Amino acid sequence: MKELLENDRDFYGQEWNEVEKPSTYLDSNELILNMGPQHPSTHGVLRVILKLDGEKVLGTECVIGYLHRGVEKIGEHRTYTQFAPYVDRMDYVAAISNGLGYCQAVETLINVEAPPRAQYIRTILTELQRIASHQVWLGTHALDIGAMTPLFYTFRDREEILKVFEKYCGARLTTHAFRIGGCQWELYEGFEKDVKKLCDFIEPKFAEYEELLTTNRIWVERTKGVGILNGDDCKALGVTGPLLRAAGVKWDLRKAQPYAAYSKMDFEIPTGENGDTYDRYMVRIKELYQSLKIIRQAVDNIPDGPIMAKVPKVLKPPVGEIYHSIEAPKGELGYFIVSDGSLQPYRMRIRPPSFVNLQALDKMVRGLLVADVVAVIGTLDIVLGEVDR
Amino acid sequence: MKVASLLRKIFMVDLLKGLRVTFKYQHPREIYTEQYPLERPVIAERYRGLPRMNVNPETGETLCISCDLCAKACPEHLIVVESERDPVTKRKVLKNYTFDISRCMFCGLCEEACSTDALELSQDYEIALYGRDNLILDLKRLESGPDTTEYTR
Amino acid sequence: MLNQLTGYLSNQTETPGAAGNYVWALIYILIVFAGVSFFVMLMNWVERKALAHFQIRLGPMRVGPHGLLQPIADAVKLLTKEDIIPDGADKAIFWMAPVWVVLTGFTTLIVVPFGPTQAVTDMNIGILFMLGVSSLGVLGIIMAGWASNSHYPLMGSLRSSAQMVSYEVAMGLAIVSAIMMTSFTSGWDGAGTLSMVKIVEAQRIQGTWFVFKFFPLGFIAFAIFAVAMIAETNRAPFDLPEAESELVAGFHTEYSGLRWSLFMLAEYAGMFAVSSIAATLWLGGWLRPFPNWLAGSRWDLTFSLVPGILVILVGVAAFYNAVRMPKHPALRPQTIGLWALGVAIVMIGAMMLAPAVRVRIVDASWFVMKVGFFMYLYIWYRATFPRYRFDQLMKVGWKVLLPLALGVLVVTGVIGLAPELKDWLLKGAR
Repeated sequence: MKELLENDRDFYGQEWNEVEKPSTYLDSNELILNMGPQHPSTHGVLRVILKLDGEKVLGTECVIGYLHRGVEKIGEHRTYTQFAPYVDRMDYVAAISNGLGYCQAVETLINVEAPPRAQYIRTILTELQRIASHQVWLGTHALDIGAMTPLFYTFRDREEILKVFEKYCGARLTTHAFRIGGCQWELYEGFEKDVKKLCDFIEPKFAEYEELLTTNRIWVERTKGVGILNGDDCKALGVTGPLLRAAGVKWDLRKAQPYAAYSKMDFEIPTGENGDTYDRYMVRIKELYQSLKIIRQAVDNIPDGPIMAKVPKVLKPPVGEIYHSIEAPKGELGYFIVSDGSLQPYRMRIRPPSFVNLQALDKMVRGLLVADVVAVIGTLDIVLGEVDR
Repeated sequence: MKVASLLRKIFMVDLLKGLRVTFKYQHPREIYTEQYPLERPVIAERYRGLPRMNVNPETGETLCISCDLCAKACPEHLIVVESERDPVTKRKVLKNYTFDISRCMFCGLCEEACSTDALELSQDYEIALYGRDNLILDLKRLESGPDTTEYTR
Repeated sequence: MLNQLTGYLSNQTETPGAAGNYVWALIYILIVFAGVSFFVMLMNWVERKALAHFQIRLGPMRVGPHGLLQPIADAVKLLTKEDIIPDGADKAIFWMAPVWVVLTGFTTLIVVPFGPTQAVTDMNIGILFMLGVSSLGVLGIIMAGWASNSHYPLMGSLRSSAQMVSYEVAMGLAIVSAIMMTSFTSGWDGAGTLSMVKIVEAQRIQGTWFVFKFFPLGFIAFAIFAVAMIAETNRAPFDLPEAESELVAGFHTEYSGLRWSLFMLAEYAGMFAVSSIAATLWLGGWLRPFPNWLAGSRWDLTFSLVPGILVILVGVAAFYNAVRMPKHPALRPQTIGLWALGVAIVMIGAMMLAPAVRVRIVDASWFVMKVGFFMYLYIWYRATFPRYRFDQLMKVGWKVLLPLALGVLVVTGVIGLAPELKDWLLKGAR
């Protein structure tokens, strides 16, 4: 344990509260500043303690746990079917991805595969959810940096996606869309038409977001060169998702370990070069377009057939453990389930992408100004429901 | 191309593009606000709102057969089905049915588990109450279904 | 004194201050004060509605028809709030800071020319007075941050005042280049003027708004001023000191209720003041568009009808919205109010078309329309642009605007003096 802590120290250089300010002849006092749990920009209840030298950040510490609800403990006392609604509430912005990961993990545990029609439905809904999640990210990130209007535009476009979810599974945010073994609901009448209309409606909107922000000189100045995280640091910290891809590492679980219907889809993995905030912004914008591409391909080719595999009503998986991960919009979302043969899992461990990505905050923020800390927290795309569970 | 980018920088083309996008959205047809409660939103059929117990439209009897599957399916264990066995027909007859709204997460597992068409999550989303007294719904309230609030102001 | 009261209007050749007419000067002061206060309340409503429409939503709709009574509701709420003074704050300075900013903000407005004789007074150092007094306003901001006895307001006020002071340099240089253009008026013997009324006179005599003079020099000077005035008033995209998503919530963090509303009043009055400087110096003040290109009494008549027609159009818009109001019984008082407002506005517009009234108010209307255009730009920028970080903000002010303003100044001088320069060079060559 002590070795781990000392490796931390080597990695970051110094512990956050032992960092000394560089000595110059201009003496300024060091300041410990608290960006408390209640703050407009911390995307939830996150407490960040900053050690400042004037305006420059010397070190940070994140205090989390304000939204801890004991989801993993609850998982030990619910059956596998009953636990599925709880999973949506972790990353509440991208509930369908959470559900997909969980259902696939349990399906791997009981060695059942969802039928092809269910795989296609899952793919379409997951990609729609990816677009919605990135839109939330874009709106809130732009709001932190000062641009007020992209928030409203992205949320307006997200409304259309949520309407499709509501028509399909009955809820907009906590969807509980998938079941173990496939999908519960058949596609409603007019689903393909709705999705195609949605895709045509939303594609010019992406171009509008780009017009507002991508070349805007104020945006570029605020985000270029801010919060650099290179590929080696990402791998050392376990950071995944758009942060990893913006650092230049071409790693996406949809291509590396294909699941659902992704192996049959033709899409690209956008990467960046420098790993700064601007590159992460560009990677996520390009992912929006790629998601549209996947949806268009999938919606034309949905196969016919059953939507639910043969799964016993009373689910008793064999003794064993499984780790299964998917590419959630925020990174690698993993489920580690240990089953002891009974109705309820022995251990339900969730690897949230935001929790692991948040560790990179300290690395990214040293040496930046206070106004950049807000931008960096925004670009990490954290959801506190996931971080705290 | 350097000249072109220099000219774009001088004439602030990027800023003007952003200004044009926001200007375009001022048109009143772009307004996306629904003025609730004057305009109510359109709710999908599969929406998981307040639960409702359905009755047989001809006889008015409840469709519930007290199979207790909904109570077993609920993750929060908030449904209590009280029944007694009718000595004549040897079938279970529903005596009382309580549903605790305060802990319900509207996941829909009870609706799926129901073997008849009795339990259904309706499209009612206006379920705010002033106190905690009425949060445990009994059979009468569940059968009466959604009641839309009329706003006078 | 009665003479002053009655004799003034019949032969109005100069502003009351310049004519030594105290009574009318006082009346004009009251009109300006009431007008600007009404303007601030109107701007509050316009900003909320316009910003909302940019963001595809509606803004206030419930308080009064289409939210027209919202500023009044806000004012009542602010007046009835508890007056909190932080512990350990310097009470005298805490009290004085908002008073100071309001005082300086409104004092600048006495030289603003709404017409050739319609200003409170016409000092011959008018523009210098406006710049000087608005610089004094920075002191009020520092006082506010200091007296709050708290870390974040102090940092915010220092940042805010540093930003205002740096952009005043660029503003001043842009203003000087516009002043220099006044000296090229034929018949004035190369003498420029700092008096606001005479600057507009110079534009009228020269036949062009200064924004178009020596194109593109006047335009560049105007652009520099347009950017600097946004930074001067702490508005987006230069509003880091008062941004909500920053740690430092600005110099007015500890102020609540009436004191905060005084800061807001001073901010909008400051916006009005710098917009009126821009309108006077570059956009021709009270002159109608195309004063010399479309000259003649017929064109004069057509253009003088424009303000009245615009007001009538606003009234028609009120009628249109009143017709479209939802038919809910709770909204009946609002619908009736909107119809009444529409009728009132149309009547005012009709009055404005009557010749007796028209002649008097046409200058002021054009001036107010130009200031309104700047206000709209302010709101448009706030809706569109992200915020500059503080060091980037200072970089823009010192490293971009200042050299540009100096360059424009020098080039304007050279080009303006070109004929004399040519004569002098040729004389020297002989």
